Amino acid sequence: MKKFARGLLVPVLLLCAWQLVSAKEIFSPYLLPSPSKVFEAFLEISASGALAQHLLVSLKRVISGFAISVCLAIPLGILCGQSKLFKNYFWPSLEFLRHVPPLACVPLIILWAGIGEASKLTIIVLASFFPLFLNTYSGIANVDTKLLEVGQSLNFTKQEIIRQIRIPAALEAITVGMQLSLGYSWRALIGAELIAASAGIGYLILDAEEMSRPDIVLVGMLAIGIIGSVIDYIFLAVIKKTFPWQQGLQEGSQR
Amino acid sequence: MKNAELSLKNISKSFGTMEVVKELSLNFPSGSFTSIVGKSGCGKTTLLRLMAGLETCDSGEIILPQGKIAPVFQEPRLMPWLNVADNITFAAIHDKNLDKKRLDEILQLLELTEARNLYPHQLSGGMAQRVSLGRTLFYNPDVILMDEPFSALDYFTRHSLQETLLLLYEHEKKTIIFVTHDVEEALLLGDRILIMDKGAIKESICIDLPRPREVAQEEFQILRKKILNALY
Repeated sequence: MKKFARGLLVPVLLLCAWQLVSAKEIFSPYLLPSPSKVFEAFLEISASGALAQHLLVSLKRVISGFAISVCLAIPLGILCGQSKLFKNYFWPSLEFLRHVPPLACVPLIILWAGIGEASKLTIIVLASFFPLFLNTYSGIANVDTKLLEVGQSLNFTKQEIIRQIRIPAALEAITVGMQLSLGYSWRALIGAELIAASAGIGYLILDAEEMSRPDIVLVGMLAIGIIGSVIDYIFLAVIKKTFPWQQGLQEGSQR
Repeated sequence: MKNAELSLKNISKSFGTMEVVKELSLNFPSGSFTSIVGKSGCGKTTLLRLMAGLETCDSGEIILPQGKIAPVFQEPRLMPWLNVADNITFAAIHDKNLDKKRLDEILQLLELTEARNLYPHQLSGGMAQRVSLGRTLFYNPDVILMDEPFSALDYFTRHSLQETLLLLYEHEKKTIIFVTHDVEEALLLGDRILIMDKGAIKESICIDLPRPREVAQEEFQILRKKILNALY
């Protein structure tokens, strides 16, 4: 509880400073609306249902994009981590793709997939695939040799060593990768929605900017931060409950 | 009765230009307890790893006994994601009908019954090493290769584990090969002591002192001196 209260101190101080600055009208209220104005805007778009509707659209995109990434990145990471041959075939191509920022692909994605859901999902997958893939790969490839020798000495087959030692030993790295990948999905989504969308929290922000409503822009930004933190918190809570031996995972371990 | 004799014929092993094991020929009869002592770097761990199949020899032949052979490592090497009971039954982790009675016996023998649901990060060094020994026992090998398994433990834990090991040896008569740099430990445990130096066996001494052996016994001290002289 004490930890929670300490964590609240800085936001509360910032809020006070914000209130003070806007009360003295140091900046024009058009550029920096007061906290109360932002709260009113929050109530306004909550009551109209717009906030919930846009959030829901965005959440759906993140979850689908993240799910696709998980289905692609974990099996590929495991295959590359345990088979040199497989790695030799795929690594150069993946290495090339890794260096192309998803945003650089946006024009081509829009050209090919239009501005519908497919293009947004593609951007999310491109952004969230690599942190998960690379973590899975290094988790599988860098399992402590001492543990592998235990399997060898107990006469395990290669398959048993992968199933009983490599994959469980890599779970911690894989979950860190999932946590990173979830964060990347969320960030990439907002980018995708800012470019071309007719719904979603990114669209809400862009639309508010065009309508000259900085208060709604701020509500959107705060919502993104809060939802992102909540998702991360839930994810960590689930992981800690599922894998009680894991010590390495911590809040905000985004690298 | 299975033939559990392990023989080495002229085996050699080098790492780069350094020859670690030099044309060694040895026999480990079934049911014998052999201690191998030597200074660090004399090749004793490599010898054990060769017998365990974790290294391959450059030349020579290792004739493995019928049945199973398993090492107990210097460090516990437990799977951090498994609790004590699952670590002990690790060899049979894919077996749905695992022998629960044997697990209970091992837990009791190693005084781990109350710790059965704990994870490795919650264990003390001595407990972790007992779990590691338990894992090898559950696998039930005919030959156990032990590489300084008690060297990182405090005096009391080491003493109690040595007693447990002897109890087990009397009980199950497995072939045990025990590598150590501690002359007293080698003497307390083994029926034969091999003194290893620069990759070769310098001397082999048979110990016919009855167990339990006492460090204070005169014969013990004479043997100890003899081994130490051979080592230097």
